[in-house]
Amino acid sequence: MQAKRSKANLWETLKSKYAIFLVLVVLFVICSLLNKNFLTWNNLTNISRQISVTTILAFGETLLIISGLLDLSNSSVLAFAGTLSVMAYKANGSMLLAILVSIAVAVFCNALNALMTTTFKAPAFIVTLAMQTMARGAALLLTAGQNVYQIGDYTILGQGSVWIIPTPILFMIFFFLVTRYILNDTRFGRSLYAIGGNEAAANASGIAVNKVKTGAYLINGVMVGMAAVLFMSRVNAGLPNGAQGYETEALTTAIIGGTSFTGGIGTAGGTIVGAFIIGFLNNIMNLTSVNSYLQQIIKGLIIALAVIYDIYAKNKRTRKKMGNIEDKQQAA
Amino acid sequence: MKKVLSLILVLALALACSFALAEDASYRVAYIARAQADSFAAWLANAVKEEADKYPDITVDVFDGQANDETENSLIENAITNQYDCIIIQPNNGEAQRPYAEQVVAAGIVCITTNARIDGVEGASSVDADPYEQAAVNARLALEMVPENATAVILRGPAGNFHADKRYEAWQTEFFEKRPDVKVVGDDYANWNKDEAMALMEDWVTANEQPIGLIASMNDNMAAGALEVVKDNPDYANVLTFGVDGTAEACLLIQEGRMTATCLQNAYELAELLLDTAHKLLTGEETEINTDVGNPLYTKDNVQELYDIHVQAGALE
Amino acid sequence: MQAEIKLEVRDVTKLFPGVKALDHISFQVRRGTTHVLCGENGAGKSTLMKIINGIYTPDEGQILLDGQPVKIQNPIHARSLGISMVFQELSYVPEMTVAENIFLGRWPLDKLHRIDRAEMYRRAQALLDSQGLHYSPYEQLKNLTVSDIQMLEIIKAVSNDPQIVIMDEPTSAITEKETQKLFEMIRKLKEKGACVIYISHKLDEIFQIADEITVLRDGTMVDSKPASELDIDDVIQMMVGRRMENKYPYEEVPKGDVLLDVKNFNSSGVFRDINFHIRAGEIVGFAGLMGAGRTEVVRALFGLDPSDGGTVTIKGSAKTKLSVQGNIADGLVMLSEDRRRYGLVPIRSVMENVSLANLKKFIYKGHLHRREERDAVQEQCQRMNVKTPTLETTVEALSGGNQQKIVLAKWMEVNPDILLMDEPTRGIDVGAKYEIYKLMIELAKSGKALLMVSSELPELLGMCDRIYVLSQGRITGELKRSEFSAEKIMAYAIGTIQD
Repeated sequence: MQAKRSKANLWETLKSKYAIFLVLVVLFVICSLLNKNFLTWNNLTNISRQISVTTILAFGETLLIISGLLDLSNSSVLAFAGTLSVMAYKANGSMLLAILVSIAVAVFCNALNALMTTTFKAPAFIVTLAMQTMARGAALLLTAGQNVYQIGDYTILGQGSVWIIPTPILFMIFFFLVTRYILNDTRFGRSLYAIGGNEAAANASGIAVNKVKTGAYLINGVMVGMAAVLFMSRVNAGLPNGAQGYETEALTTAIIGGTSFTGGIGTAGGTIVGAFIIGFLNNIMNLTSVNSYLQQIIKGLIIALAVIYDIYAKNKRTRKKMGNIEDKQQAA
Repeated sequence: MKKVLSLILVLALALACSFALAEDASYRVAYIARAQADSFAAWLANAVKEEADKYPDITVDVFDGQANDETENSLIENAITNQYDCIIIQPNNGEAQRPYAEQVVAAGIVCITTNARIDGVEGASSVDADPYEQAAVNARLALEMVPENATAVILRGPAGNFHADKRYEAWQTEFFEKRPDVKVVGDDYANWNKDEAMALMEDWVTANEQPIGLIASMNDNMAAGALEVVKDNPDYANVLTFGVDGTAEACLLIQEGRMTATCLQNAYELAELLLDTAHKLLTGEETEINTDVGNPLYTKDNVQELYDIHVQAGALE
Repeated sequence: MQAEIKLEVRDVTKLFPGVKALDHISFQVRRGTTHVLCGENGAGKSTLMKIINGIYTPDEGQILLDGQPVKIQNPIHARSLGISMVFQELSYVPEMTVAENIFLGRWPLDKLHRIDRAEMYRRAQALLDSQGLHYSPYEQLKNLTVSDIQMLEIIKAVSNDPQIVIMDEPTSAITEKETQKLFEMIRKLKEKGACVIYISHKLDEIFQIADEITVLRDGTMVDSKPASELDIDDVIQMMVGRRMENKYPYEEVPKGDVLLDVKNFNSSGVFRDINFHIRAGEIVGFAGLMGAGRTEVVRALFGLDPSDGGTVTIKGSAKTKLSVQGNIADGLVMLSEDRRRYGLVPIRSVMENVSLANLKKFIYKGHLHRREERDAVQEQCQRMNVKTPTLETTVEALSGGNQQKIVLAKWMEVNPDILLMDEPTRGIDVGAKYEIYKLMIELAKSGKALLMVSSELPELLGMCDRIYVLSQGRITGELKRSEFSAEKIMAYAIGTIQD
């Protein structure tokens, strides 16, 4: 009986559960019709490459928001970790070391974020805002505000390709799989949902709330560190001013992807869909040379509409479920 | 725990302040920078500090205007209250800082405006590099070089930024108005940023079958970003690219033959002139000075000079 | 006047996709009477009330007010028609004061359309005084207890002289004394000619106030009769469709070793000198008035609140530190009185909630085996008789009884030896209560030790082997089953006699 219903309502389920995915498909079709250059291998890899860094940040953000936390510092930490990494590479010539430096710095910054939010119970918003300022300051201090050039083969990760797929995209896919795995297939992931959904109940169910929160920040740190390497390598320089505003971009990506700001809800798939929605939008408006002021308005509008549609579809689903329950109870 | 923490904080603050006070020299100069996060402004601020070391009787404190008129204005007010002997203002937006520059003069403090100068502040001096002229020298060269019916893209600095607007104005007046045959296929804000310029350029390359012939960039960072996108693209081997600032990266790109020209805003020269001016005014040698650094244009022919400047400064090896 | 019909529900049918939630329901409510609505979870009571309150519209049939058919658009429209509702799930703004909450959305305004604060607080004070409530209108809601807030909710509903008041489980979170106050309030409302529609699971209290009783089952009308023609057993039979032979399925179970032994357990300012023990196979009760410290003792034992001093011995080993994780590992779990806050993650699925406390059981090399998890959860839900469309359904969409079963299922997954159950049957219907009692006996039979905290004396008397009575943070009495009497317990609880 259950199978029958799900088959009959396949479209309904699709519409409600994957509403945001439908938005993406519709957007994709519209874009393809609007400009003949849109649907080309080159352009699609371009878009993917363009969104890869913010999307990796968004995965970290997704884990955090699900557990009721937040990271506003990722953009600055990226700049700090990235410039240090570039400097390490210039001094030493080892790419592995450069990556390790970047990840270590980003993880360290996030360990501080975690310490402040768990031990001292400070709100994540303020803590990471403070870290944002500090890390940016550290990056500027380190470089005296100057870009670091002549970084040689550091560019391989950000600009290279494996076969025909650019490496940043591979990293994005890798972190997508990691995030998905964490959220779906680990105790840690379940704990994130539980903490974000109801911290008191999670605690009373024996979940080590502080440990899990710390874990979320540390994983976020790894992602930020790797994103930093990709970013610096893509722009072929160590930019202490780089990635400004990426924190909002990453947040927006996660939220469009259906991650609930109040915690407890969100998926890796949603986030990557959110990332492509933003990516397609930016790309198609550039391809069709829409006036740049107008671009901002349109982008804002479409983001708002996408989220409203998603919420609307979800509400409908909840209501339907209520109905089903009474149905089921009568059957029982 | 909290008490201890706050105590430590207070102590640290007190310590930091007393260190600041301990440095005693005959002339105290406040340098109000536009934004320490803007790489040229930071370069200039660094150069000013270095240059100041050559003057035993001058100490310079650098303040960060954070690309924000409000912040910059309050920094000027604070510097007046703090009774500095000389206040150097690098405006974020000349008109917004004008009344504050006037306050400096009224307080009897030596006032110097720089990069860009605030015109007509009575009693104030100025040392300048003119943003309009910096882009104009590029545009005039482009006038000769850009082939007929070429397509062009423009990379702009942040909307509303004084330097970005002036340079854009120069490109419009000196080039695009005179060359109606050149078609602009992309004109957008990359906010001085290399990464944003890259994303824009990638899309523009995709959108245009005819290779873009001219990249008019308001600074070198964005020009370098655009070139990063097309560096392995044979269609773009001959793209003409212009920038402003004369950064080390632009210098290398010109040497490689990938970038066409850049106009140097020579921070070292500006800093030298600034300190010299400040010293003359403070010692009473002169009462008002208005002077300019040049806007030297570097192309493949004379790029070695630019390279030498950077090597000397340690930015390139 | 007395016989005049105020509200009539005529042939109301409500369809949800694929099902009839309500099937031709008809009944009449007379002026100045209390009409009690009974039925198990999912019988359609709440749906019916939501139709009367304008949240749902009926697919068929009519609502008549004073003999005139009306289409009630929404709750605001309902309010303007003189209908007001007390919800089971409390709705309030914790940061606002009592007065602001009472007048939420209809604050008294002055001539300039500003909120007239003085007037608001004056009226709130008058209202509180008239109902004999002790707290100040300036108090923030977050500082009040659940029962205070429930009373406030009731006051709020009657504050604008409604003609029809709908009360959905109003006594699920309030004390006996407050219940009597509520009944007094209902009597006053009736005197003014208003009518009250009252939904409750507490059958004994229904008969104190009911003039007429309507019973629903599975969306259909069973019957609607004057209360004088019915007794409790009749009503239970009508609700469940069969006669319930025994309300409490108590069985004598052989007792084993002492599994939990608590000595001189203290928490300064909250409770002190708590001494008790539970044996395997034993169900021990904690009786006492609200605020006696029962919940506090249980929470501290489970490691949710701090304690200072005392010896707690779990299965023979003395614990130096009490932590939730340590307790769960030792096989001691707690069912909270506030299941929405401490028991469930409402926005997540049934499956995730049930497996939450024992996920490591399904982890192999860091990988969660979802197939195995699903099977285990499915089995547990069947054992608990949880009614849910799918295991992916979010818990918030389920009824109170089912939610409680899910919390139980979660703890059953851990396979504990000691269960501390704080108000395990609060706010759930007769059928579900009975299932929980049966589960308790089953657990006792399998050698578990159970502690039951309850404010309902009959269930303690019916289910426990021994009862400890608490008063003002101390244990004032202990009774064996052979000594059980409600009078004695009350005497210990109010502190007139002491051991």
